[in-house]
Amino acid sequence: MRIRTASVSTAAALALLVTGCASEDPADTAAPAPQASGGGGGSGEDCVIEEPVPVGAALSLTGAAASYGQSQQKGLELALDDLAEKEGVTYELAIEDDATDPKQGIAVFEQFISREPVSIILGPTLSNGAKTTDPIAQEEGVPVLGISNTAAGITEIGDYIFRNSLPETAVIPQTIAKAKESLGLEKVVVMYSNDDAFTESGFTAFEAALEEEGLETVETLTFSKADTDFRALLTEAKAAQPDALVVSGLIEAAIPLVTQARELGIEVPIIGGNGFNSPQLMADAGEAAEGVIVGAAWNSASESEENVAFLEAFKAKHDGNPDQFAAQAYTGMILVDAAVRAGCSAERDAIQASLGSLQDIPTPLGTFSFDNREPQHPAVVQIVEGGTFTVLD
Amino acid sequence: MQQVLNGIFAGSIYALFAIGFTLVFGVLDRLNLAHAAVFTTSAYVGIELVADLGLSIWLAIPAVLVTGAVLGLVIERVAFRPLKGRHDAHFAGLISSIAVGGMFLALLQARYGPDTRRFPADAFPSTDFELGGVRITLLQLVILGVSLGLMLGLAYLVNRTRLGRGMRAVAENPHAAAVLGVNVDRVTATTFAISSALGAVAGVLLAFYVNSAQMTMGFNIELKGLAVIIVGGMGSLKGAMIGGIALGLAEVFAVQYVGSSWRDVVAFGLLFGILLLRPQGLFGARQVREV
Amino acid sequence: MLGDYTATLTLIALTAIFAYSFYAVLMAGQLSLGQAGLASLAGFSATVVMPDSPVVGLSPLVVGIPVGMLVGACVAFLLGLPVMRLRGVFLAIATLGFAEMVRIVLINAEWTGGAQGTSVPKLVTPGIAWGCLLLVAYWFWRLGGSRFGRGLAAIREDELAARAMGVHIRRYRMAAFVTSGAIAGMYGVLLAYFSRFITPDDFGFAAAVDGLVTAVVGGSLLFLGPLLGSGFLTSVPEIQRALGVEAGWIRPFLSALLLLVVILFLPGGLSSLIPRWRTPRLDPSIPAPELPALPPPGTSVLTLKGLGKAYGGLHAVRSVDLELGSGEILGLIGPNGAGKTTLVNLISGLSVPTSGTGTVLGIPLGPDGQGHRFARAGVSRTFQHSKLFDRLTVLENALVGAHVVTRPTLLRRLLWLPSARRDEQRALAQAGAQLARVGLADRAGVNAGALSYGDRRRLEIARALAAHPTLLILDEPAAGMNHVEAQELSTLIRTLAEDGITVLLIEHNVRMVLETCTRIVVLSFGEVIAAGDPATIAKDPVVIEAYLGSDGPADSRV
Repeated sequence: MRIRTASVSTAAALALLVTGCASEDPADTAAPAPQASGGGGGSGEDCVIEEPVPVGAALSLTGAAASYGQSQQKGLELALDDLAEKEGVTYELAIEDDATDPKQGIAVFEQFISREPVSIILGPTLSNGAKTTDPIAQEEGVPVLGISNTAAGITEIGDYIFRNSLPETAVIPQTIAKAKESLGLEKVVVMYSNDDAFTESGFTAFEAALEEEGLETVETLTFSKADTDFRALLTEAKAAQPDALVVSGLIEAAIPLVTQARELGIEVPIIGGNGFNSPQLMADAGEAAEGVIVGAAWNSASESEENVAFLEAFKAKHDGNPDQFAAQAYTGMILVDAAVRAGCSAERDAIQASLGSLQDIPTPLGTFSFDNREPQHPAVVQIVEGGTFTVLD
Repeated sequence: MQQVLNGIFAGSIYALFAIGFTLVFGVLDRLNLAHAAVFTTSAYVGIELVADLGLSIWLAIPAVLVTGAVLGLVIERVAFRPLKGRHDAHFAGLISSIAVGGMFLALLQARYGPDTRRFPADAFPSTDFELGGVRITLLQLVILGVSLGLMLGLAYLVNRTRLGRGMRAVAENPHAAAVLGVNVDRVTATTFAISSALGAVAGVLLAFYVNSAQMTMGFNIELKGLAVIIVGGMGSLKGAMIGGIALGLAEVFAVQYVGSSWRDVVAFGLLFGILLLRPQGLFGARQVREV
Repeated sequence: MLGDYTATLTLIALTAIFAYSFYAVLMAGQLSLGQAGLASLAGFSATVVMPDSPVVGLSPLVVGIPVGMLVGACVAFLLGLPVMRLRGVFLAIATLGFAEMVRIVLINAEWTGGAQGTSVPKLVTPGIAWGCLLLVAYWFWRLGGSRFGRGLAAIREDELAARAMGVHIRRYRMAAFVTSGAIAGMYGVLLAYFSRFITPDDFGFAAAVDGLVTAVVGGSLLFLGPLLGSGFLTSVPEIQRALGVEAGWIRPFLSALLLLVVILFLPGGLSSLIPRWRTPRLDPSIPAPELPALPPPGTSVLTLKGLGKAYGGLHAVRSVDLELGSGEILGLIGPNGAGKTTLVNLISGLSVPTSGTGTVLGIPLGPDGQGHRFARAGVSRTFQHSKLFDRLTVLENALVGAHVVTRPTLLRRLLWLPSARRDEQRALAQAGAQLARVGLADRAGVNAGALSYGDRRRLEIARALAAHPTLLILDEPAAGMNHVEAQELSTLIRTLAEDGITVLLIEHNVRMVLETCTRIVVLSFGEVIAAGDPATIAKDPVVIEAYLGSDGPADSRV
């Protein structure tokens, strides 16, 4: 029996080995780690790099975060199309699915770090996944650019970790300030989903901002990110007679919440965090969305050259409006291109160095700079008017 | 008062979903975990019929009922029939139904993408009523009406028709029923079809109620459905009905008096309590079967 | 090249450990889905106590893992107390509900970081993960051949029969539950310190289902099951990636399809592909065990006074007086529904009397759950509808029968102590001897489910004999036997009585009863209508009318 057991274990291990060998592409001629193939000189627009620069994107294409991941995929692919029109540097984008499972995210990162090495990794989609996977990249010296990570503690992981997605702490204070000024608020009811890292950090930011502005929180109500029926909570909120509802929730919750609130006869303004910043809000909530105030990291109504071009290209390619995830993903790729050209190198360390010093890059998100690996660009407070977002002033 | 109504409307949907669950468990002693996937599928299908094919939402209900029945037949044929007579049929049935449910959801994503879908804004009647300070929409009344109607229809079917007698016979003792001439396979298939049809209508009704269909909607309701059938009593139709409404009300009051973040704990606390104090549920009469 | 897969390899080990926590309860036929909640509690508890720096030169996990396992075991115990009496689906749902409550409580708690989770350093290397896995697998490997392991398998196959064989059901099930909790706790700690991050959402319904699926796909009959299941399921996404299967809906679809195929066509899971090991060899140098002597003839074995059992208004057994002395062969006959099996259930402690008193081998009949006490005292029985452990071999069935006369061996097996081997060999000798007695020695390695009907009846008797009973109860052992077989059985029973065993025989084969028994009691509608030696009973007109029938015109043959 002992021999049998040993032979079975060996067989299992053998099977694994075979799998591992099978995945190694025999035709793979690229070097294990991208060397400075920065052939040719020049920098910026003149930079020429012979080999395509490998870029990896770890996105959640299936699972709970699938709609965000797929939106990001669209943004990235659009960016790739646009970058292909520039000369000198080409990119090879590999998109892998982590199925909204941090454990699979680890496997995907491992693949991008050693098995099919890339110069830089974009993603992962969720902050909690990033806390698991980014440290691995940090250890191995692979730069990571988070395009949707907004929780606290991401860039603190190390000097190879960047993000271009503005956290709630950068957006919300001005949202509350503007709202108070514009509406003359005194007391509010706060609602948020407490089982999601993003909305919870949004709540913390709201709490701080409300206190800063001297507004009274009459009641705090929590819900689950999977909830779609808010009538019980809203009835409770209505009874407290606030001047406004402050909500930190994902778009999935925002739409039914807003619709049901109006249905129940809640007339007061609703103030939302970044999760509300999606064209779906107007499309699906219709009339009910009118007057909703949204603090946003991306001003979709911006008339800047980059943003207008982005919107047009996206509509042409995908027949629909982009959301913030697509915009931030698109921008991420633009920033990668800027960093690669600045150092004119596809090497990981060079990209890491250049990325950190990027300043005043024009992007659909606005004029973008990195400050200690954190994003710097103007945020905006929007209000829904006539079915679109306009800036609140 | 508004809260009570909120509880009743939500509860009637829970009840309709749970009834499908408990029907299969009561008659066939199987827990069909693909039920939630049928729920989700019908929500998407309903939206597609209304949004893309311009069907009136009232017609979407019977259309979805039929779709659900077909899915039920598929589930029975693929996930449960091959396991007949196997020693571990209970466990294996759980896993195979989870697998089939997973396949349905993957196919849903293939067809509809991962985004939430919603009804077009003009699909719903905007009539609503205000009675003594509470607001009710016509849609909510229809939801309640359809749920109750279907549940009563099922009760009638089980108690007064030949098919129903067959189902009750199979529930008691499949071997004896077969010997007495009941076509057990056909009764089994029909039970699954009915159960899934009800679950499907529950799905589209929830989609009406919250105006959305998402991939994750099945998850949430599956757990609540389990809680309802335990509290109401496994295999008891009356129990599922009353249990569903009770859960809806309990949740609403939990939000009001305990705090919203603990709302789901109410469902599970209730579940736990009943299992410990009265495992057959409020109305269940069946013996707790050993695996 | 293997180094490129360190994460995957570690995850295989961790997933296998989690699957083992399900295996621990599935072995005993219980379906518990609360392991995810236990893992969650253990993981978070570990974050509180984990030291920041190495402890005596060893990784801080040396503190963290035992703490996690302790938390898991204790919470499992507390959860198990109320939940243990539930069966099947109810147990599954109750434990699932528990896991969800844990998740919600932890998400709302401050000290866990709520939805934002807690970051922790990475301490788990592939070596540590596989080391822990090997320890767990070792435990289950040694468990397989031990008395405890056999008892769990018996509970899984047929709980009532296991109880009748002396297995303490409650204690064994609780032990399995607590083991499951400890292993889940280990998993929780390892996962947290591998992922560098722990959040309550990692331990939700989806995680529980994944663990269950892994355990079932691997198979719950062989200790290698969870390992195989984990290797298989963890590799599937990797293989899909390697094959270039496009991400998106195809991958989850293929995974679900694969799962369906495995569950439909491989009933025992992947581990059923591994051929079962040979029957353990008997060591001829180890003699049959020294078993206590049976009481001398005439000693009172059982006394019943006015014993009755009523189900609501139905009196199955009504006011039965009975005395039985050792060395007797007592036949219990009567029409169907007379209450014979009910009476026997009362005597063997599987059922509780509602009136009257009785003592069997010195133990008074009383509250339920005492089946194993009577078994320990020396009562052993067969069942009217054969209740063999179908997926165990003939020899294993007999070994379970020997439960009450063998000593627990698990702890000593873990240390490979020779005394454990000796005890196991003694048990084997005892079981083997009984198989020989009924003529099944040559079929020792066959699965009980594959036996012919006659062999099944014989195995039931061998199993009952393996317990070295003082009182052997046979419930219709000759049913379905032909004349020759019934004769052989009759001879066997008389030999047993000569060896000192008291036999209580329920039978419809009247000729056999008249030939074999020293005394006969006739039951009808729950009451004793006649008692005496065979010759008297055969001629008793009351008995003839109620049961035996006559050749005359007023023929009321049953």
